Amino acid sequence: MSLVPNAVRTGAWAAGSDAPEKKEVKIGFIPLTDCSSVVMASVMEFDKKYGIKIVPSKEASWAAVRDKLVNGELDAAHVLYGLIYGLQMGVGGPKKDMAVLMNLNHNGQAITLSRKLYDKGVVDGFTLKKLIDKEKADYTFAQTFPTGTHAMWLYYWLAAHGINPFADVKTITVPPPQMVANMRVGNMDGYCVGEPWNNRAIVDKIGFTANTTQEIWKDHPEKTLGCSAEFVQKNPNTARAMTAAVIEAGRWIDASLVNRQKTAEVVADKSYVNTDKDVIVARMLGRYDNGIGKVWDDKDYMKFYNDGYVTFPYLSDGMWFMTQHRRWGLLKEDPDYLAIAKKVNRIDVYKEAAAMTKTPLPKEPMRSAKMIDGVVWDGKDPAKYAGSFKVKVA
Amino acid sequence: MRVLVIDELAEDLEERAEILRDGLERAGHEVVASLSSPLELLRAVERLRPDVIVIDTESPTRDVLEHLVIVSQSSPRPIVMFASDSGGEAIREAVRAGVSAYVVDGLDAGRVNTIVEVACARFDELQRLKVELADANLKLSERKLVERAKGLLMQSRGISEDQAYHALRKLAMSKKQRLGDVAQQLIDSAELLGKA
Repeated sequence: MSLVPNAVRTGAWAAGSDAPEKKEVKIGFIPLTDCSSVVMASVMEFDKKYGIKIVPSKEASWAAVRDKLVNGELDAAHVLYGLIYGLQMGVGGPKKDMAVLMNLNHNGQAITLSRKLYDKGVVDGFTLKKLIDKEKADYTFAQTFPTGTHAMWLYYWLAAHGINPFADVKTITVPPPQMVANMRVGNMDGYCVGEPWNNRAIVDKIGFTANTTQEIWKDHPEKTLGCSAEFVQKNPNTARAMTAAVIEAGRWIDASLVNRQKTAEVVADKSYVNTDKDVIVARMLGRYDNGIGKVWDDKDYMKFYNDGYVTFPYLSDGMWFMTQHRRWGLLKEDPDYLAIAKKVNRIDVYKEAAAMTKTPLPKEPMRSAKMIDGVVWDGKDPAKYAGSFKVKVA
Repeated sequence: MRVLVIDELAEDLEERAEILRDGLERAGHEVVASLSSPLELLRAVERLRPDVIVIDTESPTRDVLEHLVIVSQSSPRPIVMFASDSGGEAIREAVRAGVSAYVVDGLDAGRVNTIVEVACARFDELQRLKVELADANLKLSERKLVERAKGLLMQSRGISEDQAYHALRKLAMSKKQRLGDVAQQLIDSAELLGKA
């Protein structure tokens, strides 16, 4: 415990040249479990402690989040990592200099396949590949945004099982809350989306979890707290305060199962995710059921802090999304991966926010992971890595 | 040019398509309507091959179109019109009016702008009419409540219509509430007491 009273410490940050330039910030979010730390920063008033007021704003589509970040209607957003990089590079739409202030969560998305496929003997990626080879048909798979994380997890997962996402199957984009309904009417065979929409398919008995995304990449980056570079430039103190408030909310969520339970109750409300609390809470606590007989306690469930491992904006994480955009032809040539990641991922702002919240920092801005196909990504040679995949478009 | 209008609800869809037809068909453009369920929409785009797609900025279905934008660069399909105009006045205006447009690459920008301008103006008009209608409905239902409350007062206190109205208004002013709300409370309590 600090000897300095809380009010004095926060007063110090809110005074003089450290005072937030903009006191009220509108942060967009999409109804998904991983919007939790943004929502709790407001609900638990961690924002107040840093001299700002966070106003969460529910958005209807990722396209709307993007447009509002570009035109300034939103100050920041709970946003797909890949979308920020797509916007930075101008992939299929506007081009704008963007900023990743922090990563919001690790894990907690999944690949859901339909009961119809299960009835044909499909239980995982390998049996799916067998069926596709044997039975010619239009197989349709959905993700949530063309440059987003779910598109990249879905493509990576299909390719890891020898299925080319653009040649062997049809891929489409479907808004997260509509995934379950579209699978129910037989419109698609599989999808990748954030929770609670995978567990919802199991509860509704229309699909099963073939793989969680933490099985594709343990502790993968996912949503970021993103904003335009212009916003950080004009409001550096607000950007720092916002980051500190959300880091602290993430820490609070991860602190105990009781806090996780409470978070699930709050975000289940119709102003946020709008679904049954029970559908959210199970996987939030790491209690997994794949819907076809496997039940387990997953230690790699959705995390929001994990001693700062979740929240740090690793350069290798940002670069990875560009390597996959390159792999699938969204980028026509290799960009200067490292230079762009250094520009977008605002480690400078994050470090100050980490100091304010006493969050440990990693030694290196790169990290290493072994993916589901056995390939290691460590950020060292991104162009070579991007070109090394057998299944690809570019 | 062929313009595709997309909406979530059948009734809104026809309304939107109609206001656009009004403005655009005279100028020689064709307006087609479609519902927004993802697969239905994809089929409509494939079948109709529109030059411009107009959709509500707040429609969740916009992400479905974003995918088309990315995967269909070589075929005549929609692309985001704001690609060359990000952050400009056009996008601000369109977003404010609730219009997002996706257009085929290589079209004459002037003609596309006309379509989007017409869409913005018409959507604004529609929005204004909706607000007016909601206002009128509110006033109408308030008047009905006030009439009923007046009747109750006249009956139970044996006063004139004028006196009843003034009594209600005085109460509303002293409680700083809307006349309609005070009338509603009076009706509620009368019902509770079995007097209504």
